[in-house]
Amino acid sequence: MAKAMPWKGGFPGVGTWARAGGFLCVFALAACEQAPPVPQDPLVAKGREIFFNETFAGNGRTCGTCHRAEENFTLGPAFIATLPPDDPLFVAETNPALATLENPVLLRRFGLILENLDGFGDLENVFTQRGIPHTLALPNSVASAQGPRTGWSGDGAPGDGSLRSFATGAVIQHFPRTLNRVPDVDFRLPTDEELDALEAFQLSLGRQEDLALPLPLKGVVAGRGQAIFLDNALGKCNACHFNAGANGNPAIFGADAGNLNFNTGVEDLPDQPADLTGERVPPDDGLGRPGDGTFNTPPLVEAADTGPFFHNNSVETIEGAVAFYNGDTFNNSPAGQLIIGATGSGINLEATQTEAVAGFLRAINALENIREAVALLEESAAQKQGPARGTLALAGAETDDAIAVLAGAELSLEAVAHLRKARRLIKKAARSWFFRKRLTREAIEEQRKARGEIVAES
Amino acid sequence: MEPRSIGFAVLAALLWSTPAHAQKATEQFIPIGQSPGLSGKYTYLGAIEMADSLARRVTAGGRSVQVTERTRIWLDRSGAKRPNVAGSFDDLQAGRRVEIKYENEARRERADWIKVQIDADQ
Repeated sequence: MAKAMPWKGGFPGVGTWARAGGFLCVFALAACEQAPPVPQDPLVAKGREIFFNETFAGNGRTCGTCHRAEENFTLGPAFIATLPPDDPLFVAETNPALATLENPVLLRRFGLILENLDGFGDLENVFTQRGIPHTLALPNSVASAQGPRTGWSGDGAPGDGSLRSFATGAVIQHFPRTLNRVPDVDFRLPTDEELDALEAFQLSLGRQEDLALPLPLKGVVAGRGQAIFLDNALGKCNACHFNAGANGNPAIFGADAGNLNFNTGVEDLPDQPADLTGERVPPDDGLGRPGDGTFNTPPLVEAADTGPFFHNNSVETIEGAVAFYNGDTFNNSPAGQLIIGATGSGINLEATQTEAVAGFLRAINALENIREAVALLEESAAQKQGPARGTLALAGAETDDAIAVLAGAELSLEAVAHLRKARRLIKKAARSWFFRKRLTREAIEEQRKARGEIVAES
Repeated sequence: MEPRSIGFAVLAALLWSTPAHAQKATEQFIPIGQSPGLSGKYTYLGAIEMADSLARRVTAGGRSVQVTERTRIWLDRSGAKRPNVAGSFDDLQAGRRVEIKYENEARRERADWIKVQIDADQ
């Protein structure tokens, strides 16, 4: 059974450290850095350094400006509200030459970033507003039978379209000193060595393997949600989010299908929050130029603690995201119609079923949090006092995520109790000179008990 | 095969037509020879030998390539510290240095995009 539980094994991804880093600032250590600890792999370490510190001679932004370590490598409105006015995220407000680089209202209120995917010939009218996708689990979510798919619509990278090339396009789009975007004037392009390092760092973040569903979940709601998720006649989720990941079900789409694009109709949702502001939000045509209306499939294991949801941040909660697939907008969309054609009906879950699927997604997100927290705690036990404090705090942050994800829907309350106990032990361990390892072992035990409340071990 | 499986197989076939794309928007600002993962491997870099505006074909490196409605043409003015802009077939003049990405690398029949180097005095 252990082999079917990927969260049990493996050295912690750098993502664990990185994702948790910022929570230290908020919850534990006032003077922490936002970047994760230096990884042991030199190429990954170099990539980390570039990701968080390199501005490419541009407007002051780095990759970490938007892909915040403390925000699970994405960025939401609540966190944006805590940033100082001179944060590089706000260059459109502070630098007149970049006044139209972003829409500050939409950036601050909804975490939306301006993109010129359909070209830079008409900056005032041709643009899209997209959320910031997290960069976790990329080893399992980029590859497709037709080449790499990056960004929200699969075409985020110039050059060969690969994850390695993604940073080049990001620098051009988001880092310029002026909108002329002249290389070696408004920015410098990443070198081949920098692209190699950035790719290695991004691939190291978070989950390295897909789950193997079904899991022996103990919670009746989450368990029922998993059953609905896997039911090709009811939830139909597993067809496109195989094993709650980002890839198509190989039994349906072929062994090497990998990540797929769909037009699910999100663009047609009524009353989208950004639209309600009256700010200009042109339609987003998705993949290609002109676009075909499709967007690629994100992984779901990391979903519950990385909202808002969809490419335009139009839905705030994981329950709302699941409910989207019950609505007319999805069922009338090209993807919805294909499902109706293929299975004879659309997706029509009742409210209880919707919450069950969301509960399942919350449970697997918490299990991923626990996996990373345990790995970090084990790592900290082998470290000296100084580095161990940082690692412990990061483990604490993962624990905070797990608590928030479960408690947000009152799921696995026994697990939440163990996680809260683990959190207290981690804080004590970080302060203790003499009992750190013992306290860490106790925290690991509480994490395992929490996991045991969510999923059966054998 | 069960009906539902047949249905999903149809679904798979229909979705299969969605191609993967590199992003062409920011490609405009990447100077000739610096396109990541492409330049030096999958593009032609050299001078235009002949341009036939009637047939919309360009000859470079001894090979004639079709410039289609979909072909993006960009003027690389980065050497002159000026912004790169969209160009037209008229900018494909003999003697100018270009980088050509083909729609299909193996066939090299049609151009996906062409970057034209524009010097300061041009």
